[in-house]
Amino acid sequence: MDARQLEILLIDDEDIVGKRLRPMLEKAGYQVEVFTSGREAIERLARKTFDIVISDVRIDEVDGLEVLAAVQQHSSRTKTIMITGFATLELAREALAKGAFEFIAKPFYPKDLKKVVDKAAAQLRQE
Amino acid sequence: MTPAKRQGDTTPPAKPAPSFGDALAQEIFAGRDLSQPDPVDQALLQRPTISFRLRLILAFSLFFLLALGITLWSIRVLGTVQQKILFLEVADDFKLELQQARRFEKNFLLYGSNLEDALEHVQQAHRLARENRQTFLQVMGAEGVITLEEHLQQYAQLLSTLARDRSAREQQQVREHGGALLVAAQGLVEGERRLVHEMLGLARRVPFVFLLVLFVLGVLLVWFLGRQVLATLSRFMGYTERIAVGDFSPITPARKYRDEFSTLALALNRMTRELDRHHRILVESHKLRAMGNLVAGVAHELNNPLNNIMLTASLFKDDFPELDDDEKLDMLADIIGQSERARQIVRNLLDFARESETQLEPLAVKKILEETVQLVGNQLRVKKIKLEMNIPDELPAVHGDRQLLQQVFMNLILNAVDVLPERGRIVISSDTGKREGFLAIDINDNGPGIPEHILGQIFDPFFTTKPKGQGTGLGLSVSRGIVRKLGGYLFVESELGRGATFSVLLPITSVPATVGAGGS
Repeated sequence: MDARQLEILLIDDEDIVGKRLRPMLEKAGYQVEVFTSGREAIERLARKTFDIVISDVRIDEVDGLEVLAAVQQHSSRTKTIMITGFATLELAREALAKGAFEFIAKPFYPKDLKKVVDKAAAQLRQE
Repeated sequence: MTPAKRQGDTTPPAKPAPSFGDALAQEIFAGRDLSQPDPVDQALLQRPTISFRLRLILAFSLFFLLALGITLWSIRVLGTVQQKILFLEVADDFKLELQQARRFEKNFLLYGSNLEDALEHVQQAHRLARENRQTFLQVMGAEGVITLEEHLQQYAQLLSTLARDRSAREQQQVREHGGALLVAAQGLVEGERRLVHEMLGLARRVPFVFLLVLFVLGVLLVWFLGRQVLATLSRFMGYTERIAVGDFSPITPARKYRDEFSTLALALNRMTRELDRHHRILVESHKLRAMGNLVAGVAHELNNPLNNIMLTASLFKDDFPELDDDEKLDMLADIIGQSERARQIVRNLLDFARESETQLEPLAVKKILEETVQLVGNQLRVKKIKLEMNIPDELPAVHGDRQLLQQVFMNLILNAVDVLPERGRIVISSDTGKREGFLAIDINDNGPGIPEHILGQIFDPFFTTKPKGQGTGLGLSVSRGIVRKLGGYLFVESELGRGATFSVLLPITSVPATVGAGGS
C-alpha cells in the first residue's frame, strides 16, 4: 500500500460481478477496471499493463485462456486469477500450467476473492 | 423434492423404489390393461371367420359334388342304355313276330297253307306290344302306339276274315296293314338303335367335358386362392416395412372376414405394441442420457446467477451500515432478478426431464427451438459455437409432442456441437416448400460432414462415430423414431468437408381446433 495503488482488470460477462466486486476491491485499496467483453479487455491489455487480471474462464467469443495468453504476452509480472463456473479439474490444471496465479470457482464469497487478490498483491510487492 | 414427490404419487409407497425402466414399464402398463383386448384387435376379431382351411374345404367339396354328379349321371345313362338294349331285343322280337306273320300270310296266299300260324305270330306281337306298352309309349309317343295297335288289331281281324274271304280286295288290305306294321316295327327298332348310339356317344363325350370343366375350375380356384394368399402376404410385407421405419400404428381390418392371416395380424399388432413400448423406454432412457450431458452445462448456467446472488447478498450484509437506500434496493432487485433467472434455468431442465404421456397438439416450433437452444446454450458456449436461428415468427403450427420434438432438436443440435470444431457455426432455418403439408426445420452445421459410405447407416441403432463410451449410437435412431411416430420425416444431406444438414419434416396442423381438443 506504500508505493502506489495496484491496478486490477476484472473481466466477467456477468455485469453484476463487476458491479459488486469493483466497490469492494476499491475499498480495499485497488484501482479497478471492469470489462464484460473479452475482446475489449484484450484491446485494453495491449495498451496498458495491469498488476492483477481477474478473468472468467468463459466469456463470450474470447475465453479466459486467451486473456491469460494476452496478459502473458505483454507482461510476465502480471498475476492472473481465473474465475469459472465450469469448475473442471482439467481446465484449472490447464490454466495453472499456463501460468495462472490462482483459480477460483463460482459461486464464491467476495472475501474469498479478496483473499486471493491480497495474496497476489503481497507477492507482487515482494518481487 | 418435487420430482421425488411426483414419483411417490404414482408408485405405491409400500414397494421399494423401482428402477427407472420398471417405473416406466409400470406407467405404460398402468395406462392400458393388457388383459383387455385392444380396440383394433377387437375390430380384427369381430369379423366373421372364413378361414383358408374353410375355403379349401369348400373347394374340395365343390369338386367332390361335381364328381359325384357326373358319376350319378353316368350310372343313370348306363342304366338307360341297358334298358334300351333290353327293349331293343323286345323290339327285334316284335319285328320278328310280324315278319313271321307276314311270311305265313304270304304262304297262305301262295300255297293255301295254315293261316293259324300267322295269327299266332300276330297275337304274339300284340302281346309283346301290350307287355311293353309303357316303353312303346316312351319311344313312339301315344299317337304312334295307338296307330300301331289299330294296325295290329285290323291286321289280326283281316287275317281271320282272309281265311273265309280270299278276294283280291281283302288280300290288298292285308298286305297294306302288314306292310305298315312292318315299317312301324322297323322304325321302332331303328329309332331305338339310334337313341342308344346317341346316348353312348354322349357318355363318351361327357367325361372329356367333365375333365375340361374340372381343369378350368381348378385353375380358377388356384388362381383365386393364390391371389388371396399372395395379396395378403404382400399386404403384410407392407406392414413390416412400415414397422421397420418406426410406424407403430396397429394393423386395421382390411377385409370383411377373418382368416388365418387375422391371427398373424393380431400377433403383429402385439409385436408393434411391444416395440412401441420398448421404443418409448428407449426414448426416455435416451432422454436421461441427453440430460446427463446437459446437467454439467446447466450446473454452470446455475452457478452464474448463484454467484451473483452470493456476491450481492454477502456484500449487502458486510456493507449494510454504509449502504444508502438506493444501493440496498438495487442489490435486492439484483438478488430477486438472479433468483428468477436460476428458477427459469431449473424449470427449463425440469420441463425437459419430466416424464409425460405423448400429447399431440398444434405447436409453435419456434418457441420449442428457442427453449432447446437455451438448454444447450452452455454446450454452445463451451465450444464458442455460433448458432443462428433464421426462423420467421409467423409459421404454421405443426402437429407433435412438445417434449419429444425438443428431444429431437436437442439431439440434432448436440450432435452438431459434437462434430463441430471450436467457433463452428450452426444455422437453424425453416422451409414450408419442401413438401406439401409439411414444415421443414433444417439444422445445418459447417462441420466436417458425413462420409458418403456411412450416410446410409447413421440412423441405424447403435451406429456411432463417437469414441467408445461417448455415444450410445441411439440418438439419431431414437430421433428418427420419434419423428416417424409424429408422422414426419428425418433426413440428412451432407457433403464431405462442407457440413451436414438434418431436416425434420413435421406435419402442419390443418385443423387446429380438433387437434387441440386432446390438449391439457
